[in-house]
Amino acid sequence: MRLPRGDRNNTVARMNTHTRLVLSAAHVTCRVPRTVAKAAADGEVTLPTLFRHLHRRGAGAAAAGASDEGGAETLRTLFADLAFSLDAGDIVDLVGPSGAGKSTLLTAIAQLNPHAEAELTLEGTPSTAMSPELWRRQVAYLPQRPTLTGATVREAVLMPFTLRVHRKAADGSSLAERRPDEATLRRTLDVVGCTDIELDRPPQDLSVGQQARVCLLRTLLTAPKVMLADEVDAGLDEENADKVGAILAYAAEHKGMAIVRVRHRSADGRANRTLRLAGGTLTEETGAAAPVPSAAPVPPAAPVPSAAPVPPGTEGSAR
Amino acid sequence: MNAATANSYPIDTLGLVVTVLLVAVAAGISYAMRLGVHRQMLWATVRSLLQLLAMGYIIKFVIERNSPWLAFALIAVMILAAIQITMSRAANIPRDVMPQVFLTLTASVILQISVVTELVIRPHPWYAPAVLVTMTGMLLGNVVSAIAVAMSRFFADMESRRYEIEMLLSLGATPFEAARPSIVASVKMGMIPTIAQLASSGIVLIPGMMAGQVIAGADPLTAAKYQFVVLAVISALTLMADSLIMALVYKVSFTKLDQYRPAA
Repeated sequence: MRLPRGDRNNTVARMNTHTRLVLSAAHVTCRVPRTVAKAAADGEVTLPTLFRHLHRRGAGAAAAGASDEGGAETLRTLFADLAFSLDAGDIVDLVGPSGAGKSTLLTAIAQLNPHAEAELTLEGTPSTAMSPELWRRQVAYLPQRPTLTGATVREAVLMPFTLRVHRKAADGSSLAERRPDEATLRRTLDVVGCTDIELDRPPQDLSVGQQARVCLLRTLLTAPKVMLADEVDAGLDEENADKVGAILAYAAEHKGMAIVRVRHRSADGRANRTLRLAGGTLTEETGAAAPVPSAAPVPPAAPVPSAAPVPPGTEGSAR
Repeated sequence: MNAATANSYPIDTLGLVVTVLLVAVAAGISYAMRLGVHRQMLWATVRSLLQLLAMGYIIKFVIERNSPWLAFALIAVMILAAIQITMSRAANIPRDVMPQVFLTLTASVILQISVVTELVIRPHPWYAPAVLVTMTGMLLGNVVSAIAVAMSRFFADMESRRYEIEMLLSLGATPFEAARPSIVASVKMGMIPTIAQLASSGIVLIPGMMAGQVIAGADPLTAAKYQFVVLAVISALTLMADSLIMALVYKVSFTKLDQYRPAA
């Protein structure tokens, strides 16, 4: 089913059982009229026409320039006229074949993709009515590759609070201290099953799974209204992947976040909706086999036996 | 800088020939040892000889005419050449930073002339081409290499930090916040030779300008003071130019919607 353009209140098959939510529904309406991206042979989304031109001229002997000389690439529109909305507490799985543009769609929603155009509305406010920074603070994109900065995990997790968007309001006045204190930090880490992560360790010493979870926590602590998780459990073992899923479920359930996940694993039963992006169209998969999300306030920290083991690496990286 | 005093030792044609011969011998060694630099070495030597002689004639002409218009016209030409050199020396930078380079070079020259030349050296007449043109030349030489290095480093560093930048932007960082580590690294990189030169001058190294003045017969103490002023002024202006070019250029890596776009 192709969703009609501009349909902002399309709340199909809500399986959310929470009644304690006071937050009025957060709507992200995304319509992408024109997304042009260069699709290389492996489905990799890279540079568009405009910048490819620059690239050619400026590249010189750079490796990127050399690969450009293959000349086999074509430009194509990944998708156009997509629309969907999501509500607070939603966990939406975005699925579809490799190269369909799932990551592109997420970066378009976060206004991070220079090649995408989108009309976006959050709780009735269009994205054009606020700075891109303020939009991204509320609609946070979580990249697949874990990137942590600073000397310790604590520094890495608190980094967002050094940014202007967390310190100053849109009119330049100082915001109240949003930075979580030490106790909150530790409690949040423990509640989402990160008891194994010490705050004083250098982030590079963490395992990949731990890094992925710390990145997730960093975004979680900034309390966005929407979180766009781009294959954050890719390349992780079952235990870490499940912990990542549990953290997201926790955020949706207890923080009322709306969450979109791009995943390549089999459904873990945490999503209440599934959207399929394929061939440039977005379809709501109704009657998904996913059960109602668990209402347990604390997600299990122990590994949950998986019903269907996923063959690892079913798809290459999205970019 | 009165070179024509009793103790000056002008270079005659024989001197030039001997110099070029020495370069030829060095290039021959490079050729014999297959170091692969002989061609560039010879070419650069010929170029520098012609360019410097040409500059000598031009400055001589401008000094003799003693016209402010001519002096400033020459400075304008020097700025244009400096833009071209900067753009060709900085590898893998987008071409559309040319206006920013122009602005930066012009600002540092104006600052140099108005503040330094007129307040520190105070030549008579105020536009004395001997001072204005030579000071501008020395300043531009330093600023060009500093901002070329800084820009190359900046765009390369941004490219290598692209995942970090994406992460920072996705958490609501402004372009400046996302680019800051690259800006800091690039300014430092551009300033390394300048600061090293400032700190080491006088210990073993006698900088070219002081050496030239002393050889040409000037009082060594006067030459030292001149050299200090020139080095310190150039360093300060280079740092300013480095900061200015970064402030003007970092936005090139971002769209109007504060999205990162790879530059080169």
